[in-house]
Amino acid sequence: MTDLLQALLSGLALGGIYALVALGFSITQTTTRTLNFAQGEFLVVGALVSVAALLLLSDKGQGAVLSAADVTLWRYGLALLVSLVVLSGMGVLLYLAAVRPFVGAGGMSWVMSTIGFGIIVQNTALMLWGPAPLVMPSPLGDSVIRIAGAGVRAQEILVFAVTALVMLLLDHALRRTKVGKAVRAVAANPQAAALMGINVSAVVVLAFVLSSGLAGLAGLLIAPITTASVFMGLSIALKAFSAAIVGGLTSPRGCIAGGFLLGCVEAGVGLWRAEMREITIFGLIILVLVFKPEGLFGRPVFEKV
Amino acid sequence: MDANRNDAARRAWLKTLAMASAAACAPAWAQAQDVKFGFNADQSGSGAAELGVAARHGFELAIADINKAGGVLGKQVSAVIRDDTGYPPKSIQNMTELIDSEKVSAVIGPTNSGNALAWLHIPQQKKVPVIVPVATATEITRRYASEAQNFIFRISMVDREQVALLVAYAVKASKNKKIAIIGDSTAFGQQGIKDLSEVLALHGVERSAVAKFAPKDTDMTSQLARIKESGADTLIVYGLADANAQLLRSMEKINYMPTLLGTWGNMSTSLIDIAGPKLAEHIIFATSTAEDSNPRAVALAKRVRAVYPKMATFVSAAQAYDSVLVLAAAIRRAGTTDGAKVAEVLDSGIPDTQGILKVYRKPFAKDDHDALAVEDFHLARWRDGKVMAYEDAITKTLTAADFKK
Repeated sequence: MTDLLQALLSGLALGGIYALVALGFSITQTTTRTLNFAQGEFLVVGALVSVAALLLLSDKGQGAVLSAADVTLWRYGLALLVSLVVLSGMGVLLYLAAVRPFVGAGGMSWVMSTIGFGIIVQNTALMLWGPAPLVMPSPLGDSVIRIAGAGVRAQEILVFAVTALVMLLLDHALRRTKVGKAVRAVAANPQAAALMGINVSAVVVLAFVLSSGLAGLAGLLIAPITTASVFMGLSIALKAFSAAIVGGLTSPRGCIAGGFLLGCVEAGVGLWRAEMREITIFGLIILVLVFKPEGLFGRPVFEKV
Repeated sequence: MDANRNDAARRAWLKTLAMASAAACAPAWAQAQDVKFGFNADQSGSGAAELGVAARHGFELAIADINKAGGVLGKQVSAVIRDDTGYPPKSIQNMTELIDSEKVSAVIGPTNSGNALAWLHIPQQKKVPVIVPVATATEITRRYASEAQNFIFRISMVDREQVALLVAYAVKASKNKKIAIIGDSTAFGQQGIKDLSEVLALHGVERSAVAKFAPKDTDMTSQLARIKESGADTLIVYGLADANAQLLRSMEKINYMPTLLGTWGNMSTSLIDIAGPKLAEHIIFATSTAEDSNPRAVALAKRVRAVYPKMATFVSAAQAYDSVLVLAAAIRRAGTTDGAKVAEVLDSGIPDTQGILKVYRKPFAKDDHDALAVEDFHLARWRDGKVMAYEDAITKTLTAADFKK
């Protein structure tokens, strides 16, 4: 029983990260029918930039190792701000360089161009930071909190809490605010939205900023759990994309649910056999694609001719 | 008359030109004639990178010392250094480049066993001797043992030998004789699991559980839950320092703290950085030398620290230093840098060579390409940010008969 609860807690923390990145996939998909396949690398940059910002804030040289005392909550918050600004800029750049030239042109050019953008980002990061993982202590300390015998670290609770909060805020913003309604209008029908006086290109840029920012936030949140490494992006992005597929790429709520589901399945299967985790997850994805291609929470898309 | 004078003037001018150009070319000429030693090891990528960096400094210092004493075969030795970032394809590429383009006489490296296993066939086919100063997989020196000539040598810990020490300790330390094994999913971890299981069987102890993790896993609670269920009071881990640190963190999470034993790869500051200094002290591991073992070690450690203040793994610097000395001694006796002849001398015996770890008297034999064995190893653990020898009531009772392998 304790084992199951332990797996659930570990799964929720990891699932939160998948959910944030999956949400990023969903936002650009619904507004532009494209995906940013560089999301994983954006997450890496989010983590590395915040390590660099924390080193700067604690008056240490770039190459030094962060100690627990260096990472206070307000510094962590400032690092988040820096990382969000950098990532927003990268989101705009990605849109202008790798997505806009191909939007609406049909074909799959944007797939290759966003993957390519990601590879450029990754190699630049490799040049700047090197391949060794960087340590980022949690701002909430490192002690283990016991819940009914199972152990969880404060950072893992933070990941879960922030994901839940971001989900609620985004849900509210999309449904209740003017900007959110504009985003949904563009997602539903860009031509009609433009005719109604909505600045479609501004909304699309906003979508890429939002999606990149989410990846950056995920990077900052996960770094204290996994350490920040140039190579951690791909596997997280792949699972997040899977989460989006399982939950429904067109449904923000579905993506969140898919993220948590995948995290819990991964941890749960690990209880039984660790080497079966990937097999189970990707088996599950194939099953979902066969029986419910729009995802568990997605609405079927009808192509109107 | 005039023509003659002109001719003489031109000849004189040509002579000066020839001499000048010969003088200009001299250093390049000498360099082309240098004996080149290659170094190919992870110095930046994996959790074992610090072992590689320390090894590189040992390698360079040994070459500097040899050159100061006149080099080998009347030539200077030059170092050609490559970083494989812990990535097997990169390591293979480096190896081909060192041998084919740089034409090195021998290679010292690598750090990671998986990388060695990926390129062993290259030096073996091209007849270039390799002395491994870090990587520990047992198979590295054995794969070509049955061939006419085996070009792969090692002056480092050997998995099977560290396993002999770890299991000997584990069997005596375990109260309920329930010993579990966990390893990473690389060639290093999988071979380690195999070695551990076999040596446990030699002691007549069956492993109570066996589990795997991916090198980048950060949550091992589910694997540990199964190990805990098996009732194990002793756990042996075959992973690199960063993963072992995550294992320790997961152990703390589920509040399960069995005696934890590991390999010398735990001598990396990433263990302390990720697990924290307190938790890092929980793991006991095998090592070959400490920096205060003898006056030679003290002196070398001081020189390495001068260029690499953060050194955490003196042992690999010492092993790389000794590898170069042994290699140079073999080249001197062979009278050539021809790979086959040098390997033959390494097999048949070099003049006694005083290294950092010990005096090398016939360090290798045709069927034994490992210079170090379990007798040369002891246990250690982290204390206040430094690797210190570990001794308790059990280590004192360990005798040669306990080291089954």
